[in-house]
Amino acid sequence: MLAATPHKKTGSSSGLPQAAVSGERPAPLGKRFGAWLDRRIPPGQRITLSQSNIFIFPTASGFTFGGLLLILILGAINYQNSLVYGVAFLLGSMFVVTILYTFRNLSGLTLELADAEQGFVGEDIAVRVRVTRPKGGGREGIQIGWPGGFKHWVEIFDNEAALVKLYVAGEHRGWLMPGRLLVETYYPLGLLRAWTWVDVEARALVYPKPLFQDIPSTQSSRHRDDGELIDPLGSDDFVDIREYVPGDPVKNILWHSYARADEVMVKRYASYIEPRLWFDFAEVSGGTEEKLSRLTGLALQATRAGREFGLRLPGLEISPGIGQSHLDTVLKELALFNHGQ
Amino acid sequence: MASEQNAGIAHQIPRNSLALLMIAQLVVIVPLAQHISLWIIVVCLFCGYWRTQVYRGRWGYPAGWVKTVLVIAAVAGLAASGYRGFSLEAATSLLVLAFALKLLEMKTRRDAYVVIFLSYFLISTAFLFDQTLLLTVYQLVAAIVVTAAMVGLNQLQTRVRPVNSLRISAGLILQALPLTLVVFLLFPRIAPLWSIPVPSAASTGLSDKITPGDVARLGRSDELAFRAVFDGAVPAQRDLYWRGLVYSEFKYGTWTQGEPLDEISLADAEAKIHLDAEEFSYEIFLEPTQSKWLFSLDTPINYSARVALLGDYRLVNPEPVLSVARYQVNSATGYVMDHTLSGAMIQRETALPQGDNRRMREYAKDLYYQVGGDAQAMVQAMMSHIRNQPYVYTLNPPTLGRLDSIDQFWFDTRRGFCSHYAGAVVFALRAVDVPARMVGGYQGGEINPLTGHMVVRQYDAHAWIEVWLGNKGWTRFDPTSAVAPARVESGLDAAINDEDRAALSFLSAARLGREGLLTQALRWADSLEYRWNLWVVGYDSATQIDVLKDLFGSISAWKIGLAMMVGSGASLLLVAVAVFWRRRPQARHPAERMFQKFCRSIRHPRLRRLPEEAPLTYLIRLEKETRIDLSDLRFQLQRMLYDPDYPCGPLQRYRIRQAFRKLRFKLAFSTPTTAS
Repeated sequence: MLAATPHKKTGSSSGLPQAAVSGERPAPLGKRFGAWLDRRIPPGQRITLSQSNIFIFPTASGFTFGGLLLILILGAINYQNSLVYGVAFLLGSMFVVTILYTFRNLSGLTLELADAEQGFVGEDIAVRVRVTRPKGGGREGIQIGWPGGFKHWVEIFDNEAALVKLYVAGEHRGWLMPGRLLVETYYPLGLLRAWTWVDVEARALVYPKPLFQDIPSTQSSRHRDDGELIDPLGSDDFVDIREYVPGDPVKNILWHSYARADEVMVKRYASYIEPRLWFDFAEVSGGTEEKLSRLTGLALQATRAGREFGLRLPGLEISPGIGQSHLDTVLKELALFNHGQ
Repeated sequence: MASEQNAGIAHQIPRNSLALLMIAQLVVIVPLAQHISLWIIVVCLFCGYWRTQVYRGRWGYPAGWVKTVLVIAAVAGLAASGYRGFSLEAATSLLVLAFALKLLEMKTRRDAYVVIFLSYFLISTAFLFDQTLLLTVYQLVAAIVVTAAMVGLNQLQTRVRPVNSLRISAGLILQALPLTLVVFLLFPRIAPLWSIPVPSAASTGLSDKITPGDVARLGRSDELAFRAVFDGAVPAQRDLYWRGLVYSEFKYGTWTQGEPLDEISLADAEAKIHLDAEEFSYEIFLEPTQSKWLFSLDTPINYSARVALLGDYRLVNPEPVLSVARYQVNSATGYVMDHTLSGAMIQRETALPQGDNRRMREYAKDLYYQVGGDAQAMVQAMMSHIRNQPYVYTLNPPTLGRLDSIDQFWFDTRRGFCSHYAGAVVFALRAVDVPARMVGGYQGGEINPLTGHMVVRQYDAHAWIEVWLGNKGWTRFDPTSAVAPARVESGLDAAINDEDRAALSFLSAARLGREGLLTQALRWADSLEYRWNLWVVGYDSATQIDVLKDLFGSISAWKIGLAMMVGSGASLLLVAVAVFWRRRPQARHPAERMFQKFCRSIRHPRLRRLPEEAPLTYLIRLEKETRIDLSDLRFQLQRMLYDPDYPCGPLQRYRIRQAFRKLRFKLAFSTPTTAS
């Protein structure tokens, strides 16, 4: 039973989630390239890098370096100077040897999705990727990140693997699929870049952005004195006994337990108003996304307040429950509402 | 937010890399210091100090206007430094200045790359001045430091340790050497494409102007002039007159070469050689002179195709010698230079200015009359005059006036070195219209017993004369031999007095000294340097063709291309093996091997060891998950893996194997408890 009046908080969340529902994998790389990549480096939970999926090309510095070599060779020709030839050839050879180094730095690495956290629209959502190196030398100077985002520097020396925590902006509710991960290295000289795009099938659940409002109160048998003592909920019914925390009312202290065990315990009471709340899609205001946001806010508030609540969405009813796992179920349904068909 | 942070990492220079970068700059400038003005060094040090203060967080970067002022001041300073034209020194100074000023705005990764590329450029610039083995080794180290700075730019900021970067960079350069060698051997050498700024002539070598009146500069430096490798007989010391310059014009007290003569060819030379003529064959490795002249013994009849012979029988290079020049010469001692002399040549070789050195002219006319108009007799008379009168050979003659320097020397001071004596005799002969000219070059040379090549140093510089004696052609006389016969017989050391000797540099003295340890060491170094010149510095197109013909029989483009491919492939394969070698599993500690085997046997998803887990961490987790007491096993494994003093004999191995076996058995019959 819900009789809620929409109550906009000023300032904090003027922007309602404009989001359309996101379902497709974002394609920042362009459709045709993306399709080609999907054939060339198929998505998978574990991807090992090898010559079939590592690309390598000189960087801008690399091309400048090539220009320098050209100037040196011209100088060597004009001055007929063997040692200037020598410098040019040495630098050129170093460049060629670097190809092996740069390639080796990525080759053999295995990337897999470790886990992903959940979050709300507007938050950065953590996805953890495990990078495992093959036996042998350590790896350094590897950068991992989603295009346009923060690149995480990875080095693996003592262990065989490193966990990389990457953040993706949760822009739309639903499954967040950050898509292909850019793994690149400029090691050791920055003249060459080896890179690859891998899809480790990462996905994270993004809940609607919560909009907070007062929990609509229903008929209550609130006791005047005890209401705010233990928790904001009530005073009538005995709940449990727990250790004394400063601020607990003196009259609730179990004195006999103190005398016996030198432990200060208090009795806790809760007062029951109508304990079961129903949050109904049809009864909150706004468009679909705003409604979902309000319901998210209500579910969070109710859980925080320790109250049992149920959720009614069109075509779906979640019977009242309490606790984190109930909240997770509710949020997941809100996130995936009308989504993923 | 994210992209800003990203930009920060991508564009900043890691601190340790910056330190390496500044060391690299210092290392690169040191070999150039002697070729640029002192004030530029001061600017470098100042900029370096400023940048160090910025690095330590004490000062800020200079403001825009300060930089502008600095650049203007630097350019003005350069203009005021009086470099003649666009010389190599001027170009180098400009480069070093830009390099130093760049320090003050080295903030981003991009700036760092600019500095690194400039450093490589300066490393090769130093080779335009000097190509010794020592410098090459130094520059190799410099290249490692510069490369290490580049490596540091691409390592994780927290990890960059200069030593680590240096190790990586040294490995890279070492692994690049085989490929470098292949390309060096095979890359075609071609002729210069255009003319280029040239370093100013060395102050210690010969000069194309001789002013006997000015204070001596010759004869003191022990710098190398050239090395000669004789194929067969070596001429006697007194016959080693290396001709290089011919001074045919005398004006205002200064001898110069005059108008250059045309190129000649001695194709029909054999007809003109006396029957008793000796022929010497030798190859010369001439150190850079920044001039075109080359040195040869009398008379070059056969020589490398690239060099040319001029009308006064001296060899010249087509372009200034900027790096070690290599050429092959055959000289015939019996060749008569100029049976006949054209009127123009007589005019050229007897010309004198009007009205100077009157006493000498009078003296010459009297003497010529006395000897009956015989030029050879006149030279001998003058030489016996030198021998009999109190003439002194010294490297420190008094300064003479410009116009009447010959009069002053011959009649008054009577102290001088080779060009004083040579100049006086040539003047006297010309005063009586006998064609005569002064010749400059080197006299003597020392055989290095280690490799058998001859070393000619700047202190062997000498001047002598040639007199045209009709049928006999140009004939060599050495007036200096009259005053200091030992100079010609056994070199400078025998000729100079104690006062001159004291003025010699330490190394010159050591080189001239008798068999000492230092002399031996210097000889050894010279041998090494000779081989360096022979194989690396002097590897020019002619040598390349010889070497490649030796290797492949004949030279063709496809053969070179194939060799290049095979050679590079082989050297890269070598590197690839080195780089990927560590991929192979390494022999592990027996305890670790057993541990790994155990880990592989665990199939349960939650009990499996995570790849990033350390052995003991894993066992602790296993203990928690299964509630099986593993403390004994853990303790034993810990000691075996990490305690170097713990014995690892068969007993211990047996015990730990049993412990793992038991654990596996237990695990097979237990399920993990749910984590609470």
